[in-house]
Amino acid sequence: MPERIILCIGTRKGLFVAESSASRRRFTLRGPFGPGVSVYSVLIDTRDTPRLYASSCNAFFGMKVLRSTDLGKSFGETQSAPVFPKDDGRALANIWSLEAGDGTEDLWCGVEPASLFRSQDGGDSWEMVSGISNHPHARQWQPGAGGLCLHTIVRDGDRVHLGISTGGHYLSEDGGRSFSASNQGVGAGFVPDPYPEFGQCVHKIARARNAPGRLYIQNHGGWDDRPGIGVLRSDDHGHTWRSIAEGLPSDFGFPIVVHPHNADMVYVMPLEPMTRTCPGGAPAVWRSEDGGGSWQPLTRGLPEKDSYFTVQRDAMTIDELASPALYFGTTTGQLWIGRDSGQQWSRLFTSLPPIHCVKVAVV
Amino acid sequence: MTVTVSVPAPLRTCCGGAAELSVSAATVRDVLDQLERSYPSLYRSVCDETGAVRRHVNLFVNTAHVRDREGLETGLEPGDIVTILPAVSGG
Repeated sequence: MPERIILCIGTRKGLFVAESSASRRRFTLRGPFGPGVSVYSVLIDTRDTPRLYASSCNAFFGMKVLRSTDLGKSFGETQSAPVFPKDDGRALANIWSLEAGDGTEDLWCGVEPASLFRSQDGGDSWEMVSGISNHPHARQWQPGAGGLCLHTIVRDGDRVHLGISTGGHYLSEDGGRSFSASNQGVGAGFVPDPYPEFGQCVHKIARARNAPGRLYIQNHGGWDDRPGIGVLRSDDHGHTWRSIAEGLPSDFGFPIVVHPHNADMVYVMPLEPMTRTCPGGAPAVWRSEDGGGSWQPLTRGLPEKDSYFTVQRDAMTIDELASPALYFGTTTGQLWIGRDSGQQWSRLFTSLPPIHCVKVAVV
Repeated sequence: MTVTVSVPAPLRTCCGGAAELSVSAATVRDVLDQLERSYPSLYRSVCDETGAVRRHVNLFVNTAHVRDREGLETGLEPGDIVTILPAVSGG
């Protein structure tokens, strides 16, 4: 079967699945699945026969995990969603991240209030990961505007990087059994100490798979008196971080994406920090081709004015074809594709519900 | 004593499609305890893991919201109807 592009779009009103041939000329849309219910996280699991997972964050009746085994033509609920132990005192408020683990059935799930769960049976049962969920810092983390969420899980062999807002970056080097705050160089603008041990409002973490130890963070920047803390790079597996924000129009933003074949090519979507929308009403994805040493805007095809949307933390992604395309979804329901690594933008869909997350895979 | 639990359409998949359930209970809390034992998926849709009724779910005894009675300790009489309804909220 020729390669297909599967694009999953989590929105405030359910999950949409778009499909295209590898040419990416035309995408057909299906959905909404889990209609009327917010979808904050999606996993396109290509480890075996492809499966799609999505969180269905039902404000009325609680959280569900949806699963599809037919590339998003239909979805059913897994047998259970993550749930805190009865004597824990916390109650699940949202599901923010789903990631593949080892083997073919192992899944990781980050939730609000910030905690981590793991399934070893494809999402039918879940167990809380105590090393981070009951970390001594856990009861001191504070919610950001989006809630107290564990939104990013990045796995790298026995290393597991977690992004918590507001908790910061936590690192495990023993497969997820124990975690330590690892925020040297990660700043915060909302507490007296500019570089606290933990409590930063990390927005997203991305790993460059073909450069060992290289990671990037989009942190909560936009602080006049603490400039440059918003976009960061690590070359030592997240033990230390340094600013790479010089040259950007704003160091505030939510997503950060790394090119799948070039560790030095990294993308951000700068936002004006007060409104959290496109600076000057002119959206632009900014790309660095030298690991954050310099930045250039990618605007061809994007509106030149009057566009005031937000791109949320999981709403920008990149596919893995030889000449990859970027995709971002907006809070105004537009889904954009940036062909030729973001050189040329066009709208795939114009009027979806507000978009929370966008994931893509070649299957 | 036996009371009837009225289940809203979105939750009937949690109890085999039934719109009503017969439960032996003296209080609303007893009803929830019965649901937890007999229909755990339905219970989880009404209450979170701390046992609290979800913020956007309302429970009524006949026509009275339990918050206007004695909450989960509201006493029940034979033939009472305990209705589960989603709140009017959203966007």
